[in-house]
Formats: sequence, C-alpha cells, structure tokens
Amino acid sequence: MTMNERKTIDLEQGWEFMQKGITKLKNILEGHPEPQFSSEDYMMLYTTIYNMCTQKPPHDYSQQLYDKYRESFEEYITSTVLPSIREKHDEFMLRELVKRWANHKVMVRWLSRFFHYLDRYFIARRSLPPLNEVGLSCFRDLVYLELNGKVRDAVISLIDQEREGEQIDRALLKNVLDIFVEIGMGQMDSYENDFEAAMLIDTSGYYSRKASSWILEDSCPDYMLKAEECLKREKDRVAHYLHSSSEPKLLEKVQHELLTVFANQLLEKEHSGCHALLRDDKVEDLSRMFRLFSKIPRGLDPVSNIFKQHVTAEGTALVKQAEDAANNKKVCICLFVVWEWLQGRVGEVTLATMEESPCVFESCDGGKMLYVLVFVRKVIELHDKYLAYVNDCFQNHTLFHKSLKEAFEVFCNKGVAGSSSAELLATFCDNILKKGGSEKLSDEAIEETLEKVVKLLAYISDKDLFAEFYRKKLARRLLFDKSANDDHERSILTKLKQQCGGQFTSKMEGMVTDLTLAKENQNNFEEYLNSNPNANPGIDLTVTVLTTGFWPSYKSFDLNLPAEMVKCVEVFREFYQTKTKHRKLTWIYSLGTCNLIGKFETRTTELIVTTYQASALLLFNSSDRLSYSEIMTQLNLTDDDVIRLLHSLSCAKYKILNKEPNTKSISPTDHFEFNSKFTDKMRRIKVL
Amino acid sequence: MKKEDTVKLISAEGFEFVIDKEAAMVSQTIRNMLTSPGSFAETQDGKVTFPEISTTILEKICQYFYWSLQYARGKETDFHIEPELTLELMMAANYLHT
Repeated sequence: MTMNERKTIDLEQGWEFMQKGITKLKNILEGHPEPQFSSEDYMMLYTTIYNMCTQKPPHDYSQQLYDKYRESFEEYITSTVLPSIREKHDEFMLRELVKRWANHKVMVRWLSRFFHYLDRYFIARRSLPPLNEVGLSCFRDLVYLELNGKVRDAVISLIDQEREGEQIDRALLKNVLDIFVEIGMGQMDSYENDFEAAMLIDTSGYYSRKASSWILEDSCPDYMLKAEECLKREKDRVAHYLHSSSEPKLLEKVQHELLTVFANQLLEKEHSGCHALLRDDKVEDLSRMFRLFSKIPRGLDPVSNIFKQHVTAEGTALVKQAEDAANNKKVCICLFVVWEWLQGRVGEVTLATMEESPCVFESCDGGKMLYVLVFVRKVIELHDKYLAYVNDCFQNHTLFHKSLKEAFEVFCNKGVAGSSSAELLATFCDNILKKGGSEKLSDEAIEETLEKVVKLLAYISDKDLFAEFYRKKLARRLLFDKSANDDHERSILTKLKQQCGGQFTSKMEGMVTDLTLAKENQNNFEEYLNSNPNANPGIDLTVTVLTTGFWPSYKSFDLNLPAEMVKCVEVFREFYQTKTKHRKLTWIYSLGTCNLIGKFETRTTELIVTTYQASALLLFNSSDRLSYSEIMTQLNLTDDDVIRLLHSLSCAKYKILNKEPNTKSISPTDHFEFNSKFTDKMRRIKVL
Repeated sequence: MKKEDTVKLISAEGFEFVIDKEAAMVSQTIRNMLTSPGSFAETQDGKVTFPEISTTILEKICQYFYWSLQYARGKETDFHIEPELTLELMMAANYLHT
C-alpha cells in the first residue's frame, strides 16, 4: 500500500460504510435473514477504520470514531433493546434481558474488533476507557441502571416461589445473576449492592416468618429436621445459580433466623427439647442438634449446659439410690446374709442372731459390699454411656468433654452412707483384685474394668484419700495372700501411675516389691537355718519383712508371746543381724497367722488362726480353765482385742473354747475352757 | 499441509500465499478475524484479502511470520530487511498489528 494511492476518506463517507456493517450485525443479532460476515467484509470494515485513523490531520478522525462507536450502542439500545425489555414483566422480562445481554456482548466483541485500531493507540494517548469497557458501560448506564430494581424483585420472587416448592427455571436465574456479576466489570459491587443485599433481607424475612410458625407447632426434632433441610436447600441454591460468594452470608442469615433467634425456646421445649432427648436417648436427634448448633455463635453453650445438668441429675440419682439402700438396715442385713452365703459361711445364722450381736453388724462389710459394687458398676456404666454420647453425637467436642467432667465431679464427690467416694472406689477395686471376690470376671473384663475405675478416679477430688484406702486394702491382700492375680495388681498400679503420677503409686509399688524381696529373704533365712544347726526356732517359721515407709502404719502391741514363739523371734533377729546392722525390726503380731494342731477327743484337727488367737489357745496347754482377766493379763492386750479374740474362739462358727456362762457375748466375768469335744468334718479349718 | 491448518493471504495484485494458521496468527489483526464469534472458520476457507498490501510486502510479511515463530522457539537468527521496503513494511505491520 502506498501513501500516494490512498484517497482520503471523508468522515461521512467512511461512516456510512461502517454503518452498513453495523446494521448488518444488528440484523444478524435480531435473527433476521442475513448472510454472515465474510473475511472480506471484516477486513474492509477494519481497514476503513484503520485508514480513517491514520490519515493526516485534519482527517484524522480517531476522536469522532470513538464517539460514534459509543453512539452506535446508545442508539441501538435506546431504540430497540430498552423498549423490548420494558414491555415485558417478571419471568418474560428476565428472559428478554438475558437474550439482549448476550446479544450485546456479541455486538461489543464484533464492533471492538472492527474499531480495534482505536484501542491500540488512541485510547492510551488520551487515557480513555477501552472499547470493551465503553460497550459494556453503555448497557449498564442505559439498561441496567433503569431496570435492575425490577429485575432484582423478579428474581427474588422466583426464589421465594422455589422455596415454597415450585419449580423454577434455574438456568435463567443463573444467567440473570451472571449479568449482575459481569456488569460490575471485575468488581462485585453491582452484584452485592443491587442484588445480594436485597436478597439477604428477603431471605431473613422469609425464614423469620417460617420459624415463628414452626416453633409453635413443631417438636424440637421436627423443627431441627426442617432447619437442616432448609440449610441444605439454600446451599444447593447457591451451587445452582447464586454466586458462590453469597454462600456464607446466606447461610448465616438462615441460621440466624431459624436457630439463633429461637435457640432457647427450641432447647427448652417441654416434651421434646434437649432434656427430653437426653432422657429418651434420642441419639440421632442429638447428633443433629449438635450439627446445627455448632454453626451459630455460642450455640453449643446452652446445649452443653443442659447435657451437664442431665448427667449430674442421673449421677445424683444413683448416689441417692445407693444411699437409700445403705440406710435401710434390714436391707443391709439381708445383704449381709447374702454376702455370707456367697462366702460360704452361712450355717445356723438367722436374722435374729444377726440383730442381737452388735459387733457382727458393725463389721458388716459384706452388707455394704453389695451396694458398693452395684453403685460403682452403675457409675461406670453411666460414664461409658455418656462418654459414647460425647464421642458420637457431640463429635468429641471439648465443650462437651468439659461438661461431662464437671458433671461427674459433682456427684462423684458425694459420699454414700458415710463412706466417701474414694473409699467406695477403693473397696470396689479390692473386690475385683482379691481372691474370692464376688465378681467373677475374665482377665480381659478385669483389665477393662480397672481401666474405667482409674478414669473415674480423675473426677474425685480427694485422690490421696483413695490412695490411703487402696493402700490399706492392698496390704491386706498382699499379707494374707488374698491377691488373685499379680499381673492385675501391677497393671492397675501402672494405670494409676499414668493418671496420677509416680508419687501417687510409689509406696504401693514399694509394697508389691517388698513381698518379692521378702520371699528372697525367706530363702536366705532357710539357708541360714540349714547351715546353723544351733539356730533352731523349733517351729516352722516364715517371716515377711516389710519396709516401714511403704506400708500403712500398724499398731503393734506388746503381746506376750508364748515361749515357743519367743525363741523364733530371737533366732530370726540373729539372722537378720548378719544381713544388715543398721535396721530395726518391729514385730506386728496382729497380722500374723499360725497353724496349730488341736488334739480333740474325736480327732486332731489343724486350726489356722491368728497369732493372737494362737497365743490365747496355747495358754490352755498349761491350764484347763481360765478367766477373762487372767487371759487378759497373760496376753497383755486391751479389752477390745481380748473381747474380739475370745468371741472368735467361743461364740462364732467354731467353738474351740467353751464359755461360761454360755451367752452370745463376752463379758469380763466369763470363764473359758478348752473344748475337747469340738469336732468338724473338715480336718483343717480356718478360724481367722 | 492440511487444509484446516492453513490460511490464504491474497495480495493487492491477486497473489495467493498459503501459510500455516499458526504463522498467520502472529498478526493480531488476522488472529482477531479468525477467532471472531460467528460462523467464520467453517463456512469460509480461511481466505483473507489485503487490497492495500502489495505482493512484495506481503511476501516479506509471511517470511516475518515464520521467522518470528522460530525466534520464539529459540533460534535467534537475523531478519534482513531491504531498505527500500522498510517504509511500506512498517505501515503494513502497523495495519496488521504485528
């Protein structure tokens, strides 16, 4: 192309040519029969513009062309587009709008291609908006500004119709809302201000009305179901035609109207609110409640409170049950009888005899035992049940763990019938761990139960009290060889250590270790005896040496030992001196046991008795008949001990001694004789 | 060369230059035209007439297209322009937005 050859194109001329092209485009858009643009047409149009812009001034028509470009749109819109939309309403209007918008975009694209040359230099030089923007802003200023209110209302009314269950054209709504977004030309303000704000207000209003009526008619679970459904549908709505940025705002509004506003009313509904759901174990509804309320701010606080109250109430009810059982004396006695029967000791015992002998009832461990077992078992079950709730329905939320903990702390620290919960727990453990405990469980079951008991310990505030009780009972088990299984003993100590720290269990562990050491010690003692024929106690002697610090303190009385036993003590003391010089041995006779051979008239029977009992019986080797005071002086014991001692030998199941007078209780004026006529079918009996 | 991948550029004198579409798209103007909405590519056979560009220039421009592609791929050679063609070449380049 040469400069010379080119004629200057006049503005009118050039524009007339362009106008033809524009008209052709309009026709195509309107759907009139019109051949498509050929590449030649395109190039001609482009070239015309090009030439008109590159001509020397005053024929450089860039500015005019820029203006005419805009005018083309304005003219088309005002003459054709606007009227066609204005004359329609509602859904038809929306359809027309969408169609016109699509057309407009096409038109902009074509025309800006034709006029492209302007974009390259002219607009940059004059800092003008590019052609694309000009085109869109024409539509915005003429069409959108006027109609967006109507459009918005139409859209919102369609949305509400859909909410009521009608089918609407979702694709149409999507297209309309896309216009709001696109017209913003990169910013979301048009969408947000002109549509979203109003939509949110309308949504709030809609759900507020619905909620007001539902809250009165529906039960809590039903209401929640509806709420969940609504939230799901609104989310769906966003996915289908609303802009994704609306989702959080929309859901928040809905949640607010349905849940936050009516939260308390909902939870406290008389027969179906949170309390009722907990009471009736409606796990599914509770899960739903959690899901819904976790979305609103501070929504879970009231729920967790109600949960806490409920659990506390249930726990306290258990405590009361146990309390009632314990206080009912007759019940207790019955329980005692049952207990004794379990232990195999019920023979000629009747209810009357029970009531008469006070000390029997006082040491009525058995009667208490059963209600302790029942109570602790029930607390464990309660804990399991509600822990499962926290884990499943309440998805392990910390707030609910906290509530559970607080609830248990409240009632676990209430004592029952004078015994603190610490004592109850210790008794429960003792029962599981000792031989002959009433709970016959498999190893696994035992482990599980111990695990749970240790967990419950976390709720008890006076844990050291538990430690004390536990230690006492552990001592009894260890010393009287009543521990059922060493592994379980160690296992529970490990668990306690994990939960409460090493300090807590150090003494107990010491006790268990002591026994192992004691066995070793005993072996050494026997070796010593074998190698020293002079050192002969004369009786088979087993000594268990305990470390003072670990064990509970036992009172040691200066029992007057029979001569035979004195020798034993001496021999052992000598032996012990060979081992260590700097330790002091203190003998606790109250814990010892003795095997005596009793030569009765009918047959000889081996008697297993306590050391105290043995000392008393051996007195009768040298005298046939002794009075209460004589026995007391010779043994050098307190009244209480003597009474108990003599009772066990003369008024209990086995009458080794005859008492004069033959009443059921010991008095200081009684006399005692060896009962040579005593007989029992067993060759070996325990009189402990 | 397959039919679909090519375009025909026709000079003022009626000479037809058949080149790859890819090469032709170096020119923004040609690219715009070929990718316009509407029914272009299928109905037409990718023919573009330039009544104002002479054959010599158009030829040079086609060469430029290919050189430009090569350069973009890393082969950095020189593109020689005869001085007497320069002015017209520049104007054509401006027109074609290249």
